[in-house]
Amino acid sequence: MALLQIAEPGQSTVPHEHRLAAGIDLGTTNSLIASVKSGEASTLVDHQGNDILPSIVNYQDTSKGSLQDSLHGNSILVGEEAKALSVSDAQNTIVSAKRLIGRSLSDIKSKYPSLPYQFCGDENHPEIITRQGKINPVQVSAEILKTLAQRAEKALGGELTGVVVTVPAHFDDAQRQSTKDAAKLAGVNILRLLNEPTAAAVAYGLDSDQKGGQEGVIAIYDLGGGTFDISILRLNKGVFEVLSTGGDSALGGDDFDVAVADYLAEQAGLTRPLSPSLERQLMQQACFAKEQLTTQESVEVLLTLENNQKWSTKLTKERFDSLISALVKKTLRACRRSLKDAQISTDEVLEVVMVGGSTRVPLVRVEVEKYFNKKPLTSIDPDKVVAIGAAIQADILAGNKPDSDILLLDVTPLSLGLETMGGLVEKVILRNTTIPVAKAQEFTTFKDGQTAMAIHVLQGERELVDDCRSLARFELRGIPAMTAGAAHIRVTFKVDADGLLSVSAMEKSSGVESSIEVKPSFGLDDSKITQMLKDSMSNAKADIDARMLKEQQVEAARVIESIQAAITLDNHLLTKDEVIAIEQVIKSLADISQGEDADTIESAIEKLDQATAVFAERRMDSSINKALSGQSVEKL
Amino acid sequence: MNYFQLFDINVSFDVNLNQLSQTYQNLQKAVHPDRFAHASSQEQLLAVQKSAEINDAYQTLKQPLKRAEYILTLRGVDMPNEQQSFSDNAFLMQQMELREMLADVKFADDVDVALSSAQQILTQEYQELLESMSAQILTNNTTDNALACDNLRKLKFYQKLNLEVERLEDSLFDD
Repeated sequence: MALLQIAEPGQSTVPHEHRLAAGIDLGTTNSLIASVKSGEASTLVDHQGNDILPSIVNYQDTSKGSLQDSLHGNSILVGEEAKALSVSDAQNTIVSAKRLIGRSLSDIKSKYPSLPYQFCGDENHPEIITRQGKINPVQVSAEILKTLAQRAEKALGGELTGVVVTVPAHFDDAQRQSTKDAAKLAGVNILRLLNEPTAAAVAYGLDSDQKGGQEGVIAIYDLGGGTFDISILRLNKGVFEVLSTGGDSALGGDDFDVAVADYLAEQAGLTRPLSPSLERQLMQQACFAKEQLTTQESVEVLLTLENNQKWSTKLTKERFDSLISALVKKTLRACRRSLKDAQISTDEVLEVVMVGGSTRVPLVRVEVEKYFNKKPLTSIDPDKVVAIGAAIQADILAGNKPDSDILLLDVTPLSLGLETMGGLVEKVILRNTTIPVAKAQEFTTFKDGQTAMAIHVLQGERELVDDCRSLARFELRGIPAMTAGAAHIRVTFKVDADGLLSVSAMEKSSGVESSIEVKPSFGLDDSKITQMLKDSMSNAKADIDARMLKEQQVEAARVIESIQAAITLDNHLLTKDEVIAIEQVIKSLADISQGEDADTIESAIEKLDQATAVFAERRMDSSINKALSGQSVEKL
Repeated sequence: MNYFQLFDINVSFDVNLNQLSQTYQNLQKAVHPDRFAHASSQEQLLAVQKSAEINDAYQTLKQPLKRAEYILTLRGVDMPNEQQSFSDNAFLMQQMELREMLADVKFADDVDVALSSAQQILTQEYQELLESMSAQILTNNTTDNALACDNLRKLKFYQKLNLEVERLEDSLFDD
């Protein structure tokens, strides 16, 4: 019989081994990775000492002999090296893949009409044609994640247990799912998808330098390169409760550049379409001018026109402000809506925390200060704060801080619903509902003898199906023939802690059931991911088998460890016989996991899960009771 | 276990919201999936279910109309469904007038004043209904439970009107 590990109550239950975990800010323009080392969260740097990795991937020509030899050694460039090629090799250099991920082809084409890529693939699975073949935006993000994870493993000196990857708070289900797929493809274990403003709030709330900032309502104003988020949170004794969130998935610093570029083109008397190089020159000059105007009152802009003629103009801060003021106003409207959703007035907001590089623009700071009637907090590095917050959460989720008081209560950013008669959307879960959440709604048949029902899942705030994002369609079949309105079809929506949705439907009288993880209709299904993984490995079959085996062995070890820790802590919830029974299953799993067969290990894990189901339930009830009784003591 | 039991409080329309929120946070600290990121998948699954149940309980107990409906359901009062026709004609007439009042806000000389006076009227009528429902729930007999049920339906009409006001505000200020 295995020995029990004895620990004092309140002490860490696991023989303390620090698990390596990291937080990744997967940004539109730049990405970062951070980790908690000896209690302190900090960003990790590459061999050149840079912590910022440009989110740019270049697909190299593999036909040259030298590259073929190193196969996938460096046939794909990520970061600065790729950035250097973004102008000269535009079609093979993917910039801002985050703007494309989880979106449909028509969506991409209407939002970003002047992208220099050749698209292919179907409406729901757009791909970019590069010299290395068709590339899905998910694969591009996977390359960035892989690069960052490798950097972390080098810096921390070991394998990562898992990572927390951040996403914009208003990312919809398809965009979240695609981000998770990218991690899978990169071979990175995701502990949690975390909303960017929530990550920033954690970094801010736990920052000991912030005087008195730890309690009360705060607003996180997050304006990045391509996205805008506003989140209202209540901080209370380590609990970060998101009250509401909102934003714009296509509003960021890039749009400021576009506004300036349009103005310059007009001033220089240029008529579009322009040559790609002049177009790019315009954008670069616009971005340069924007950056200069954060500290200067005016800037000299110089362009080399088609006929090699020089053209220059002086752009004043005043002019720049007038060019972007409509965009800044748009962000404030989102702030107003979010405050209203949270039922909070601007006076109740204790602090406004600025996040994202674009909050360096002076007009943004001035307008935000005017709106909230308080000076926004800009002392935390707006580029790093999200990665830092993600690292803190990753450290907790990895189990390194069992006594931590920190809890993040996040919300779903967009309403979720179903299509009903007449192309209308019936909302099942409203936006800003705290997750995880499960909600059921009943529907009925409208025709006599109807035996099937089409279920169309949508996301968005508008009333009409056409104005919302279609997430999935599935059918409930085998409904017994009844008169119209007699069937009771119960549709259940579940959103997990990552903000991901699954939907199931059941006819109540017959028990006929159908369910779907809202995934295959958008993004990639599992077989496609496996295929991509295989394609990415040189020795496909052997490599992937080895990886599967390794994954199952790690999982088996994790499960055994957690159950042993649970038994140590809560053995009073089990009889002696029950302990012995569970330990036998543990022993058998431990033996099997020494073997070479991933599937057998997987089923042994499942067996152990079943064997501990009752124990898990008792533990859950006991911790609920403890939470309640601890509280009555507080009341006394 | 009903939601009141889950939160360890008596079944009552009167709820101490501060205490409720404190209990909510303590419960979530005990069961939230983040606490089980390293646990067995069995425990992870259970954590998601429990956490979702506590979220639903909190939302139900926190919001007065949901709380009232929950109490009445616990008492076995038959809740008429939304589609069922409403027979109180005087009330329906009044609702139509209120809707007209809202539609006219846009054309008022001073939109701000018109909007805030409309909001004031709605809030006042809502509060009056809420108070009488609260008293009826407290007495807890068959007649009063049925009356509370009627008032709850009326309050839902006001809830919808408030959504209209929000939409109106958005359309007036989102230029």
